[in-house]
Amino acid sequence: MKEIQDPVKMQKEIIKKTYLISLFPIISSLIAGSFDVFLGFIFGLIISTLLLRIKYNNIRRALDMNMEKAEKFIRNRYFIEYALYFIVLFTSARNTRINFLAAAVGLFMMKFTVVLWSVIDLFKDTFQSKIDEYK
Amino acid sequence: MIEFSPEVIRTVIRTASLIGAGAALIAGVGPGIGMGYAAGKATSAVRRQPQARGAIITTMLLGQIISGSTGIYSLVIAIFLVFNT
Repeated sequence: MKEIQDPVKMQKEIIKKTYLISLFPIISSLIAGSFDVFLGFIFGLIISTLLLRIKYNNIRRALDMNMEKAEKFIRNRYFIEYALYFIVLFTSARNTRINFLAAAVGLFMMKFTVVLWSVIDLFKDTFQSKIDEYK
Repeated sequence: MIEFSPEVIRTVIRTASLIGAGAALIAGVGPGIGMGYAAGKATSAVRRQPQARGAIITTMLLGQIISGSTGIYSLVIAIFLVFNT
């Protein structure tokens, strides 16, 4: 992860890995026949992907501002994102055709992927350093 | 020993869960403040080293993705408390 310096490439890589990991719950929910879980998961996943794009655009805009303005801008945008998360979760809680927990897991999927990716990188580094020591 | 009717107990549980939901929502404020602070520092870092802009954006993006999850946790708990009691 740390070797990717280009933000667009990093974004694409995160989305690709998230969708790859998400295939497992999507296929299992379809096999189990729980369509509400499938819908909830897809709903959360799509919203989290779109919010990633918004985050990237906000960061790019913020870096051209001065320090105080950037601070305020990112803080305000976070609260707008928070409201969007609320709308998504509220809708899934009210709608009986969408599973609430599946929507929450769909929203978390991107964060889970990033953490998993970092842990795998850490293990790789540790393993590599052990091999180098042994040599 | 005082005995409460089921209606009173239900009302107390409902009130407590609503207070809990409100308290959980406060957790969503922290990441916003932190993200803003990080953005301010990133701006000054880009001023100092414009060639590192790509790396700064990447690091900030990853940081924002991870730090935003606390807010979602609080929202999930709050909505769960409101709708499931």
